[in-house]
Amino acid sequence: MTLAQMPPAPVRTAAERLGSVSSGNALELRGVTKLFGALAAIADVTLTVRPGERRAVLGSNGAGKTTLFNCVTGDFLPTSGTIRLFGEDVTSFPAHERIRRGLRRTYQISLLFGGLSVADNVYLACRGVSRGRFSLLRPRLSDVLVARASELVEAVHLTAARDTLVANLSYGQQRQLEIALALAGAPRFILFDEPAAGLSPTERSELVSILTNLPGHIGFIIIEHDMDVALRVAESVTMMHNGRIFKEGTPQEIENDAEVQELYLGSGGHV
Amino acid sequence: MQSFYVRHPLWSVILLVLAAGFLWLVFAPWPPGLEQVMGRKRIFLNAILSGVTLGALYFLVASGFTLVFGLMRNVNLAHGSLYLLGGYLGYEVANATGYWLLAFPAVFILVGALGLLLQHQVFRRMEGEELRQTLVTIGISVVLADIMLWIWGGQSYQVLSPDWLSGPMTLPLISSLRSNGDAVYLTYPQVRIVILVVAVLIGLAMWLVLNRSRLGMLIRAGVDDREMLAASGVRIQYVFLGVFAFGAGMAGMAGIIGGTFQSLSPGEDTRFLLASLVVVIVGGMGSIPGAALGAVIIGLAEQIGLVYAPTYSVVFTFLIMAVVLAFRPQGLLGAGR
Amino acid sequence: MTYAASTSEPARPMLLERVPPHLWAIGFLLLAMPLFASNFVLFQIFGWTFILGMIGLSLMFLAGYGGMVSLIQMTVAALAGYMVAILGTSGVATISLGWPWWLHIPVAIFIAALFGTLVGALAVRTEGIYTIMITLAIASAFFYFARQNYGLFNGYTGFNNVLPPQLFGIDWRAPAPFYYLTLACAALAYGAVVYVARSPFGLALQGVRDNPRRMGALGFSVTAHRILAYTFASVIAAVGGILLVWQNAQVSPGTAGIPQVIDILVIAVVGGVRRPIGPFIGALIYVLLRVFSPDVLLAFGLSGERFKLLIGFGFLVIVFFSPDGVLGLWEKYRSRRAEARDPLRGGRP
Repeated sequence: MTLAQMPPAPVRTAAERLGSVSSGNALELRGVTKLFGALAAIADVTLTVRPGERRAVLGSNGAGKTTLFNCVTGDFLPTSGTIRLFGEDVTSFPAHERIRRGLRRTYQISLLFGGLSVADNVYLACRGVSRGRFSLLRPRLSDVLVARASELVEAVHLTAARDTLVANLSYGQQRQLEIALALAGAPRFILFDEPAAGLSPTERSELVSILTNLPGHIGFIIIEHDMDVALRVAESVTMMHNGRIFKEGTPQEIENDAEVQELYLGSGGHV
Repeated sequence: MQSFYVRHPLWSVILLVLAAGFLWLVFAPWPPGLEQVMGRKRIFLNAILSGVTLGALYFLVASGFTLVFGLMRNVNLAHGSLYLLGGYLGYEVANATGYWLLAFPAVFILVGALGLLLQHQVFRRMEGEELRQTLVTIGISVVLADIMLWIWGGQSYQVLSPDWLSGPMTLPLISSLRSNGDAVYLTYPQVRIVILVVAVLIGLAMWLVLNRSRLGMLIRAGVDDREMLAASGVRIQYVFLGVFAFGAGMAGMAGIIGGTFQSLSPGEDTRFLLASLVVVIVGGMGSIPGAALGAVIIGLAEQIGLVYAPTYSVVFTFLIMAVVLAFRPQGLLGAGR
Repeated sequence: MTYAASTSEPARPMLLERVPPHLWAIGFLLLAMPLFASNFVLFQIFGWTFILGMIGLSLMFLAGYGGMVSLIQMTVAALAGYMVAILGTSGVATISLGWPWWLHIPVAIFIAALFGTLVGALAVRTEGIYTIMITLAIASAFFYFARQNYGLFNGYTGFNNVLPPQLFGIDWRAPAPFYYLTLACAALAYGAVVYVARSPFGLALQGVRDNPRRMGALGFSVTAHRILAYTFASVIAAVGGILLVWQNAQVSPGTAGIPQVIDILVIAVVGGVRRPIGPFIGALIYVLLRVFSPDVLLAFGLSGERFKLLIGFGFLVIVFFSPDGVLGLWEKYRSRRAEARDPLRGGRP
């Protein structure tokens, strides 16, 4: 199975069916602020991403990008502002509720289950968003989720390592697994947090191909310092600076923007 | 504190009303109807005072425990054993020399030295492995308990309070009114009041050191971020050694006090360990004011329960702990998670 | 120190082929034991080992698979024992209700499991290190409460004459039947834990142990999983507790005292909390020490009561040098032998 054959979005959620939802945006942030004591990690962020849109969020270290992700996934509760996921207000939802509504995320430093094998890791990811999480019965060999997990392992080229303990994987393999976990179930919107960090050039082009070949209905936001990767996979760019949104536009506009160049690019191509 | 009033105006009003009512109960003479409902005022006052003085003892024991955890993330489950050991040693010193006061510095040094040894030889090698440290403290408590049983046997020991502290003292609290209108003032064992005063002074001293001295600043910084403190060049190991030895010494001295107004016997180490645990769970880990608050609450709960509902006093303590865990898992004054 | 119990699974041949020969030998030996072992060995050594092993298994499940070191297991076991005494028959006719066995046993297990679940609900929302503190505090509270309460728990004395029901005309407290009863329960508990470890629930629990934040980000409710783990572990502990009370024919506050609570932790850690067989190994060592060390100590001129010292020292030594317990020592020994045989395989085991 290739990534393009991944199943499309499931039947609309109960909220959508009840018609309690209005806008068609995948992700909508309004006035989101997160304070740590007196420090505003992000301030008054308003952001809209359409379903299927590929957005890059760029900015120097400390610009607030990861904090933004943490607010969207539910690791932090924002100090103020609202977050809407596919029209539903998820601002106070715990992380697992947001995930069950189609949100996924990868982490800058891989968060994997070191004591379990690759196959188990991916199986858990598939389990997390379907029923039977508390089942005490072992899955049969013909179990649907076991099959899907295998397909996913294949899609990220980790089949040879499927029974290896994650703690024994190489760095690059762990990053591949990290992506696989985000693709499990039927994701509708993914947050990629610096997926290219630490990858070799070959691994980077493989990453770009995975990202560009994702099915059209899956939108994502990617945080990246490697402008090359970011501008190749994104169709729109948001620049952040000191916790605020500084500029938005297409990759070409951003690349050619004088202010952006002055602040970030200098003479090289890296932020 | 101001922020508490601002954020929880309703709770502040409720607490103020309760506090006012409580003060009235304590200081004003009771009308006869009230005595019929609640029993004699003298019993009530005794229960309150016993609760507060017991709370003072719990505070002395728990403060060392909470400091060690707050700074070094080490749940020292041998803390109760240090308490009992201090009590036994204090008993021996007081008996041998005849001076009760001499027991305190002696025990502080002896038990503190044991603490120093443990931190230096044992815990330092397991830094960062919290669970393993805790297991080691459990093993140490088992070994210490049996050694103490071996040396001192299973009987109860009582450290005799010195003559100049024994006997009752009269407190400015009205316990009842004579038929001619004269007030009868409450008498209460002097030694317990003295211990209460001493505990308050020690608590204040600890608070002052923690909040107003350079050492205290180092400790608080270490509680917040241990790696940062070590990276800034401070010899963090010396701070750890000092804090652990101090905590152990305090526990030992508290053992003398417990042996004076209660007694020493093989179950007491478990009992005071449990008390320390409950006090810091309720009050908040790593917080001295939290330990004080928790200690007073638990001491009062225990004594009031003992007087008014003897078979269920343990349940009160447990209920308080359960309620705090359910609604504020980090403890009443614990740092937010 | 990681408590990660490993569950990687190789390919799946037939059941008969999957079980290695040495396990067949042990199984046969266990089944045939009553033919050549004395009553004392059957009842006091093996019976007790299986019982303590089960309660230790309950701790191992939470610690090894869930990353939560809970000290409430012995209390859950004792509560189940108390409930059997209170709801069934005992020597204290004023309190015991005399319900039939098919009612009072399941209800006792249910009540104990409910208690374990409630404790779990209180303990799981704090950081791992607090779990030991909170469960120890609750276990202590139970001990003191049982000791003071005469209306239900009969205070200091507890209940005597608590015997297993005479099913199928067999006296289940006779040595050989009791041996088989405890063996069967222990085997079932062990099998259940091994099986559940690779069920979705068990895998999810291990995920929660390894990375609770990621589990939340995969759609799992971390708190719910942890609490349900307590429920599962409590059922096992409850069965162990009932067997324990039948073995002693009595239950009292001392059954749930702090030394007993600590002993279960010692058993699980010494045996090794990474694999389900660990607690049973730890239990056997503990039982042998308890039974035989007084004689050894006397031979050295010490009082027989100093076995606690021995156990404490032994525990300290294990935690110092082999945090994975006896199983850890065994695994290190095996991998070193494997390295010795194969010179190409060096480095970390």
